[in-house]
Amino acid sequence: MSDYLDRFGRDQSTCHRWPPLVKLYVAMGLILAATCAPITHGPLLGLIACAIFFVHSLARIPLAFVARRLFFFWPPLFLMALSLPLSQGCRAGWLMSATIICRGTLSFTTALWLVNVMPFDQLLATLRRLRLPSVFLAILALMYRFLFVLWDELDRMRTARQVRLFRKPSLWEQWQQGAQMLGRLLIRALDRADRVHGAMMARGWQGETRWLEQRQKDQR
Amino acid sequence: MTAANAVRVDRLSFRYPGSALTLNDVSFSIASGEIVGLVGPSGAGKSTLLQHLNGLLPTRLSESETNTWIDDIPVTRASLPDVRRRVGFLFQDPDDQLFCPTVFEDVAFGPLNLNLPDDEVRRRVQESLLAVGLSGYESRSTMRLSLGERKRVCLAGVFACQPSILALDEPFSSLDPRARRTLIGILKKFPGSQIVATHDLDVVVELCHRVLLLDGGQLRASGLTNDILGNAALMERHGLEVPLRLQPR
Amino acid sequence: MHIQDGVLSPAVCMATGALSLSAVAYSLHRLKESVGDRTIPLTGMMAALVFAGQMVNFPIGAPVSGHLLGGVLATTVVGPWAGCIAMTLVLFVQWALFSDGGLFAFGANVLHMAVIGAWGGHAVRLLVQRFVGDSHKGIVVGSVVSAWCSVMAAAALFCFEFRLSWPAGEIDFSKVFAWMVSFHSLIGVGEALITGVAISFVLNQRPELICRAGTSVRLLHKGDLLPETGKSSGPTVATSITRTLAAGLVIALAIAAFLSPFASSFDDGLEAVLSKLNITEFNLTPSVPGLFEDYDKVPVPLASWQAIAVSIAGIGGTLAVFGLALLLGKALPSGTAAMTSEVAGE
Repeated sequence: MSDYLDRFGRDQSTCHRWPPLVKLYVAMGLILAATCAPITHGPLLGLIACAIFFVHSLARIPLAFVARRLFFFWPPLFLMALSLPLSQGCRAGWLMSATIICRGTLSFTTALWLVNVMPFDQLLATLRRLRLPSVFLAILALMYRFLFVLWDELDRMRTARQVRLFRKPSLWEQWQQGAQMLGRLLIRALDRADRVHGAMMARGWQGETRWLEQRQKDQR
Repeated sequence: MTAANAVRVDRLSFRYPGSALTLNDVSFSIASGEIVGLVGPSGAGKSTLLQHLNGLLPTRLSESETNTWIDDIPVTRASLPDVRRRVGFLFQDPDDQLFCPTVFEDVAFGPLNLNLPDDEVRRRVQESLLAVGLSGYESRSTMRLSLGERKRVCLAGVFACQPSILALDEPFSSLDPRARRTLIGILKKFPGSQIVATHDLDVVVELCHRVLLLDGGQLRASGLTNDILGNAALMERHGLEVPLRLQPR
Repeated sequence: MHIQDGVLSPAVCMATGALSLSAVAYSLHRLKESVGDRTIPLTGMMAALVFAGQMVNFPIGAPVSGHLLGGVLATTVVGPWAGCIAMTLVLFVQWALFSDGGLFAFGANVLHMAVIGAWGGHAVRLLVQRFVGDSHKGIVVGSVVSAWCSVMAAAALFCFEFRLSWPAGEIDFSKVFAWMVSFHSLIGVGEALITGVAISFVLNQRPELICRAGTSVRLLHKGDLLPETGKSSGPTVATSITRTLAAGLVIALAIAAFLSPFASSFDDGLEAVLSKLNITEFNLTPSVPGLFEDYDKVPVPLASWQAIAVSIAGIGGTLAVFGLALLLGKALPSGTAAMTSEVAGE
């Protein structure tokens, strides 16, 4: 599952080797430009789009991957954007809706680039360097770690349900089972939280989390 | 390490709120350097007993009174940091114990809590990873390891605190034979005392000097490994069976 | 539910960002205060749970499916402060892994789903529990109602932010709001249903896991002594007033969601305020030449559609939620009351 997530996070392209903060600033700059550029300034938008395309190709992220992500990203954005003209009886709001779609798409592809050139542990280390509160970061690190554990657990529960399901459940049953599955996952997660807490205490943890950067030479 | 008894438990009883007595009047001691197997059917109270050694059931602790001593230090609320530094605890599910995103961070977690200087922490991480045969794994993500590797990283995290006693809860469950063999090798090299709760009786025969048999929260038998595990009637009575290598041919 | 970058104007993004930043900072402050060092693993696990739980699909029609939002679920289990942090982290990781939700719109997303979801949801649930009782039934009914209210309040707030983000002139915002409110009413019913069923499931299986009314961290677990943990003091008068205010605000917002499509005078009033404050120029998009100016006389049958749609959504949604609350509340066995009273004995 984690391999599926930051697919290209561990590649070694030019972009990947940039210092983490540079990546962050580049992405922020591009998104800022994309969200501020007026829709009527075609060339400017084109320029931004080119810049995004450029960094994507620098990072060697395949276009097909971007296209696939856009395919899942667009429906809700279009739903939101097109509700504007549709609610006006298709008489007005087209420009606004185009603006939203355009800005949304540009900033989404930028964020997609950032996600794929910055593995999560690097992001975490960057946030640490930016001096975010340590409690916040400790919780974030724990969350990220157990995300995948819970995901696998959920997957197993889903499979276990599937193999005993001999007919198509009704809509209400699907909702009920889904919510109960959530409840069961919740119980397991809370029990695990207790065990994790025990494991943390067993290694001398007393509520304060200290971090230590791994030395540069240790990194791949 | 100079203490005669690494672990001493005297008339320990324990009950989870709203359930039957989980531990009932348990007494035993472990000499320093000794490896002791803790066997018994599921639900016998093995895990609960191990957790007591590390003071992991904190609300049960009083300020001064206790039934448990580690290196002759009474396990009380005040002595907890000291006790936890001496007892290294390996949990049954490595996913419970590996709570940091990378191997380095996880192994460094214990030493950092001991407030050691950074260089010492780095040295200990390297040493413990070397001890479990996982040098070079520092920047690996803890999610991308096999079960055997995860158990070994857990053990490295425990070693990094340099404990004098290991408390191991089902260290061999669901390991494949090679991973199991590796783990046994690592444990055999550990200099301190160990208490190993497991269902894998063949390992107990190979690893442990002495065995405690726990059932229904009570200590039913204790003695030399071969005497206890070779006693077919006793083993059967408590839902266990004589391991293959002790069975008469 | 996520707001992408580009939907809201930079100024609104900054304002919502500042609001949520202070809310999250305050939550963090309260969280640190209440440590209980179990809080950190618990909050992290709760965040992971909500994130993973959003992967459970709830089918609506053939290709469309909904999922949990989780704010109220989190707050019911770990309390408002930890719940707010957990939801913020969920949103952050969604952005950092899937690039879901915008970077600059992050503040708005946090405000809608984490702050309103956790703080507002908590306040509304406590308010409901005051009337229904602190029993299991009260918790379930409270969480169902608060799940729905929090979604509607977020919708209302979004409408407001959206209105601030775009120049008026061109389009009739009340119609956009009608659309959004109807849509969110559906989401709200779904959220209420999922939250209610999940919580009543947990209450049936392991009632000690659900946070007691009024405490901000879960105090009980398997190894704890009951008397020691039962000592936390009841809510002081001051906090109870704050809570009532928060609940009132969320409920008012939820109601405003249904009124917003009708209130064209609100629109004018807002415009007047903005021009008076001389901040109309923060809109970075140039207002569009009035291509469609002749069409603002809408044919009569069309003029009232949004009123009808919103009325149906509002009444239907409300009825559905209260029906659901009753149903789930009834389904709980009465035998569990003993446990509750034991736990609640202060």
